[in-house]
Amino acid sequence: MTAVAAVNVVHLRKVYRVYEREAGLGAALRALFQRQMQEIVGVDDLTFTIEPGEIIGFLGPNGAGKTTTLKMLAGLLYPSAGEVRVLGYIPWRRERAFLRQIALVMGQRQQLIWDIPVIDSFELNRAIYRIPPAQYRRMLDELADLLELAPLLHKPVRNLSLGERMKCEIAGSLLHRPQVLFLDEPTIGLDIVMQRRIRDFIREYNRRTGATVLLTSHYMADVEALCRRVILIHHGTMLFDGDLTRLVERFSPYKTIVVRLEEPADLRPYGEVLSQSEDQITLRVPKSAVARATARLLTDLPVLDLSVEDPPIETVIEQIFTQEEVV
Amino acid sequence: MRTYLRLLWTFFRVSILGELAYRASFWLQIVESLIDLGTALAFVSVVFSYTRVLNGWSADELLTLIGVYFLIGGAINMIIMPGMNRLIEQVRQGTLDYVLTRPEDAQLLVSIQQIDMWKLLDVLLGMALLVGAMLWHGSLPGPLQLLAFALTLLAGAVIIYSFVLFLATLSFWYVRMENILVIFESMYEAGRWPVDIYPGWLRAILTFVVPVAFAVTVPAEALTARLTWLVLAGTLLLAALALLASRLFWRFAIRYYSGASA
Amino acid sequence: MTHLIAVYRQQLKTAIAEQLQYRAALVIWLIEVALGPAVSISVWSTVARNEGGEVNGYSPSGFAAYFIATMLVNYATQTWVFWEFSRRVREGEFSPLLLRPVHPIHADIAQHLAYKILMLPVIGLVTLILWLAFHAGFTPSTANLATFLPALLLAFALRFTLEWTLALLAFWLTQVNVINQLYVVVVLFLSGQLLPLSFLPAPLQAVTAWLPFQWMVAFPAQLLSTGLSAQAVVTGFLAQLIWLLLGLGLLSLTWRRGLKRYTAVGG
Repeated sequence: MTAVAAVNVVHLRKVYRVYEREAGLGAALRALFQRQMQEIVGVDDLTFTIEPGEIIGFLGPNGAGKTTTLKMLAGLLYPSAGEVRVLGYIPWRRERAFLRQIALVMGQRQQLIWDIPVIDSFELNRAIYRIPPAQYRRMLDELADLLELAPLLHKPVRNLSLGERMKCEIAGSLLHRPQVLFLDEPTIGLDIVMQRRIRDFIREYNRRTGATVLLTSHYMADVEALCRRVILIHHGTMLFDGDLTRLVERFSPYKTIVVRLEEPADLRPYGEVLSQSEDQITLRVPKSAVARATARLLTDLPVLDLSVEDPPIETVIEQIFTQEEVV
Repeated sequence: MRTYLRLLWTFFRVSILGELAYRASFWLQIVESLIDLGTALAFVSVVFSYTRVLNGWSADELLTLIGVYFLIGGAINMIIMPGMNRLIEQVRQGTLDYVLTRPEDAQLLVSIQQIDMWKLLDVLLGMALLVGAMLWHGSLPGPLQLLAFALTLLAGAVIIYSFVLFLATLSFWYVRMENILVIFESMYEAGRWPVDIYPGWLRAILTFVVPVAFAVTVPAEALTARLTWLVLAGTLLLAALALLASRLFWRFAIRYYSGASA
Repeated sequence: MTHLIAVYRQQLKTAIAEQLQYRAALVIWLIEVALGPAVSISVWSTVARNEGGEVNGYSPSGFAAYFIATMLVNYATQTWVFWEFSRRVREGEFSPLLLRPVHPIHADIAQHLAYKILMLPVIGLVTLILWLAFHAGFTPSTANLATFLPALLLAFALRFTLEWTLALLAFWLTQVNVINQLYVVVVLFLSGQLLPLSFLPAPLQAVTAWLPFQWMVAFPAQLLSTGLSAQAVVTGFLAQLIWLLLGLGLLSLTWRRGLKRYTAVGG
């Protein structure tokens, strides 16, 4: 039997209709009586496939359509056009069998009940998802172990810190061992240590259960640590789908050359000087000119050390989005 | 006093600008107020279809009472309640500290910090009802009566303000009592009727525990010429005492709050 | 079915634990519950005394009995799904419920049951106090009680179904509170909460006959306070059943259309 793709999206499109709002007192008064409608394209013509067990990073600036896409995949939004299949199901039908195999984690305050201990919310999920007692206990132990939940389980949710709440929120949505996991900004607002812990956990969960994970994040560190493959969207359309390393190759026409010299020299003829400290200089050079520039540097100058690097992914992505903005 | 009024006006203006952003609230408040008024009038008309006088109050006199009920209820809900609700929220979230650091009297600031300007509609409706009731009655109250009405109205507002401030200040100690003001809101509903129709125990509660009687019944009595000098003097005295007591209690609470949160 | 029972048991447990956190709030709400009947009894008793001790067949103690019974029925059948729904939709708390493999209505039913269970001792106390304070004259017979309980259950089912359906309007409208307020007023007058239905003007009485509201409050309340003729009891039960079936049909229709709408504009 050939495995069903975890996620299959073809020509997906979503259009919203919203009311316009203008600034100013006059406009506010006018709006009391009549309002303008406006159509907004949230997502346009997305096509991609995700195989079981992959961890995919979903990147894009605010308002790019990431959350809209996640909601369509989870069955909360009805597509305007195109086709979506998750584990072979049509998400918006929200069949019980489908819902039992997925989880969507979106920010805080979702399934944990504010005023009662965490464990009681978990017990509720056990009943709702019909998790057999043995499996529930095993899963709870495992999650408690990986996320260090033991001291939190018997505290009311309102007494937990942001990070602790996020850990519990994630744990709660994994009790039923979903095969597909949608994570919207799982590390937002958390400190570095907690970010890393959640990151490690997601990787470990993926490794142990073979679950497919689709995550959006503002932090490139999340994406770099977890995802080999990324999907880049901007203004609702797909800019890139492929390996993270290829993203840099494809979108950055530059490389950086870091040179250490015996004595200071003017390197401006060799490329654009990005930074210059006492003996170390960073140059930005078009890809096609890298070989020539390196050769010339080595022959012309007393070079102590020289390395050619890709620019940081964060910079590349920032460039892509700002360039798009200009266009 | 002038700075206080200027401050009040500033808050009012800010809230007008803020509110205009919400297209719906405007219409909602109109509908809400009309429904409220309609309910009150419908109930009264049913009652008076079965009797001509309710414990000495004729239909037009009861209309006066309802007018006072809307007038003062609107004023309380416009100026006092929003600020008090916010005060409770501030205590709960620990943001009261910002208010305490302002160079202005904290009690004043929390009392007028938020204004729900749409409730002005209730005040206007209440006034319209008062005028309507007078026309129906066919005679205008004399100047002394009007003076007594104005005095008792002010005294009633002061008493209610002191009471609500007292309730809200309790939240310094009982943080979980988020909806403590509901006590007042639901008891105020009983003010739609003259308190003398209630049995003694309930009348006592509505007079001395939750002082609805002073806010609604007494001013209405002033307008319908049934107020005695004794009650008038008592009301004014009580208003002064209530204001003083709430002020002292507030000071005490602030000292406790600064001590506890430091 | 066993699955649903397990869900309900857990939901009840959670809801009770949750609401126990707000004990003080429960007691405060209670003042509201008790005050309405106290005002109504006072007003109508005054009218009765003015008119020589009785009005429309009700004496002060008869009014007390009727309004206390109304309070009990109201407590048992009341819901707050309207507020709950508009809050959920506004704050985006509805989406997580939709992703659970259980219909969201079950969580709501369980929550209401939990509240009613918690309030039972308090409402008992209030009943006793009002009864003594207003010298209510009623001694329910076993026959009355036997018909009262199923009528109460049906009244709850009917009211819950109707109000849950209306609450779904939150999917279409951002400001449902006005509709809610209107609904509350209509129910106040036409269900028999504010006054016995026989006190309404004749045209309004004719209208109530064709509306579901009296079967949600007045019918069980009258069964408890005065009892009804055998024929009236049968009519009442039939009306409750018919309205319940209609309500359920309307609910499932509205739910389906509402979901379609909700998932079109953004969850």
